[in-house]
Amino acid sequence: MHEKRAWVVDDDPVVRERLSGLLREVLGGDASLTLAEDIASARAQFDGSRDGLALVDIGLPDGNGVDLIAWLQHHHPQVTTVVVSAYGAEDTVLAALRAGAAGYLLKERDDSELLLSLQSIKRGGALIDPFVAKRILALLPEEHEPAPEAPRKTALSDREAEILRLVARGYSNREIAKLTSLSRFTIEDYTKKIYRKLSVGSRTAAVFEAKAMGWLN
Amino acid sequence: MVWYRLHWDQDNTDRPTALLVNYVSLASAMYVNGSLVYRDPQLVEPLSRSWTKPRYFLLDKPLLRQGRNTLLVRVSGLAAYQPGFGTVEVGDPAVVHPRFLDGVRWRYDLQMLDQMVTLVFGGLFGIIWLLRRKDSSYGWYALSTLLSFVYGLNYTAESIWPLPSTDAWEAVNAAAYLAAGSSFAVFLLRYVDRRWPRVEWGLLAINLVSFAAVIVAPTPSGIHRGWWFAVGGLIYYAATFGFAWHAVHKRRTDHLVLSACLMIPLLVSIHDFLLYYGVIRSDRYLLAVTSPLTVVGMGFALAYRFAVAMRRVEGFNLELKQEVDAATRQLGDTLTREHSLAIENLRIGERLNLVRDLHDGFGGSLVGAITSLERAPPSPVGEHTIAVLRELRDDLRLIVDTTTYEQATDLASFMATFRHRWDQRLELANIDSQWQLDGLDGLYLGPARSLDLMRFLQEALTNVLKHSRARHATTAIVCDRGRLRIAVSDDGVGFDEGRKTTGAGLASLRARATRLNGAFQRTTAPGQGVSLSLDMPA
Repeated sequence: MHEKRAWVVDDDPVVRERLSGLLREVLGGDASLTLAEDIASARAQFDGSRDGLALVDIGLPDGNGVDLIAWLQHHHPQVTTVVVSAYGAEDTVLAALRAGAAGYLLKERDDSELLLSLQSIKRGGALIDPFVAKRILALLPEEHEPAPEAPRKTALSDREAEILRLVARGYSNREIAKLTSLSRFTIEDYTKKIYRKLSVGSRTAAVFEAKAMGWLN
Repeated sequence: MVWYRLHWDQDNTDRPTALLVNYVSLASAMYVNGSLVYRDPQLVEPLSRSWTKPRYFLLDKPLLRQGRNTLLVRVSGLAAYQPGFGTVEVGDPAVVHPRFLDGVRWRYDLQMLDQMVTLVFGGLFGIIWLLRRKDSSYGWYALSTLLSFVYGLNYTAESIWPLPSTDAWEAVNAAAYLAAGSSFAVFLLRYVDRRWPRVEWGLLAINLVSFAAVIVAPTPSGIHRGWWFAVGGLIYYAATFGFAWHAVHKRRTDHLVLSACLMIPLLVSIHDFLLYYGVIRSDRYLLAVTSPLTVVGMGFALAYRFAVAMRRVEGFNLELKQEVDAATRQLGDTLTREHSLAIENLRIGERLNLVRDLHDGFGGSLVGAITSLERAPPSPVGEHTIAVLRELRDDLRLIVDTTTYEQATDLASFMATFRHRWDQRLELANIDSQWQLDGLDGLYLGPARSLDLMRFLQEALTNVLKHSRARHATTAIVCDRGRLRIAVSDDGVGFDEGRKTTGAGLASLRARATRLNGAFQRTTAPGQGVSLSLDMPA
């Protein structure tokens, strides 16, 4: 992320302010922030040439944040999108990751924890929680089941699956790094790769799949 | 028709004299000294039947004469049917009258009694059969008694109405005897659960022939009735002996008793047969005396069957009751189980709803409030409020995590989320955290205990985070041989155990330990860090 540019799409002014504050802390005071309160006004704020970081809330007045993430993934793939999940809406995180989100923030977390996540994203990595790891693992075919078809794009490597399992068991990145003899940043990089593999590519497919899996109502 | 004239000398006419004619077959008229003293209604065909009743007269002056007296008896009979005149007694009424009564008793009353008893029993068994067609033996017995009654009218009827002639009467009588014997044989066969179709068809054929003969040629049938009696008697004997043989072999109580009750009249009937065919002479047929024994036997058989059936019914009832009780118990248990399961599911559902409402509404508001307060200008009160709200938020998160899982969740899964979260927090506070989680896979504590345990750990780690100023913290949760051992220790500043601490931290830890049924210990000293341990049943 070369440009200090970020978007915050959230209908709650308090949350917008909080996220803006956190972004300034991560990107620096001179970062260029654009705030939007719904999907329609957010779309108008993106132009084709610039990259940056977009924090998108799920529950927006004129639609679902997952739709906006999928739209960005399709029209502005250079923008890194991060879904902001409200308290009690964690289920939508996976849907957003499938739509192309590179990470997620849980509103209930303390600022310090969100900062940690944002810093990881800024570095090009991603953080992950056990509950997300578990959901992703549940998507994987059974270990002993012989694969009937050629490995799909989403198929995880052994290393990725191993990392997911460790996360699901509650190990921290630091511990996983120790256990796998990888650096912490490499672990975060793996996480990002896992997220990217989850992405189904098209907006329609993402929404369809999310609905099929029951992540979206 | 025959006239009998008898003379006797009467010495004294001062006292009345008794005259007893014990037997006249079939009808008669009697004259004493030329005066009519008795006359049957019909002295020509169709003849009256007064042959079983003795006649008794008390004679006095002027009919009774001093010296020679004459009794003139006109006997109307038919040669084929043993017509005859018995004995005449003249004498003291005190002597003769009891003889008369004795004769009436033996020759008429007993027959009448036998008829009535037979009829009543026949009726009873007939009704039983009507209500329970399956027991055809009772039907055959009823038929047999009915026919016996018809045959028995031979002894008790005083006129042959509605039959036109004595021949026809005798023919019908013999046919009835044959039919009675046949149906009695069928009854015995049925009674021992035998069906011999050929024998039964044969019996039916013989009876049809005899009845046809009665209708077509009543006179020869009547005259030759002895043959029918012989056939009927043979059938009766064969059936009775056959039954006795069967009873002795099978040794069934009711069969033996009935057989015994049938054998006595049978032996007696041999006497009667000999009498009938004139081999022996007597004026008394004895069958009527003993044939009530048949009724006794039948009564016993019926009562025995009834008793056996009742015992079976009672046994069956008992068995049925036990089965019903067992089924009821089983059903009750099943219903109770289903009921408790339904209640449990309902409770889980309600809890889930409640927790979701709390989570989505209250949780969101809590987070919103924290965010707002954090944006507000800093103040000591605000800081404190934020801290409290964060604790509430964390506690709510624990409640949600431990109660919303619809399937059973093991402690390893609960601990994964918890550990991840606290790892991050401690790291942010520059505390190096070590975890030792062993044997927690597949360990199910249930929502309530899981929540208590997580709260205990959260409380302990919050203390480490807030007060310890530690560099390292170790959390160990090990399940081994049914015990769960939890230890949280830090290398922080610790405190003086004797110093009175403010806050509810320790009390709340103790309360949770007690609720978990565990032994709680805390050791600390200034500069030595704090160690908590909890040993509880898994």
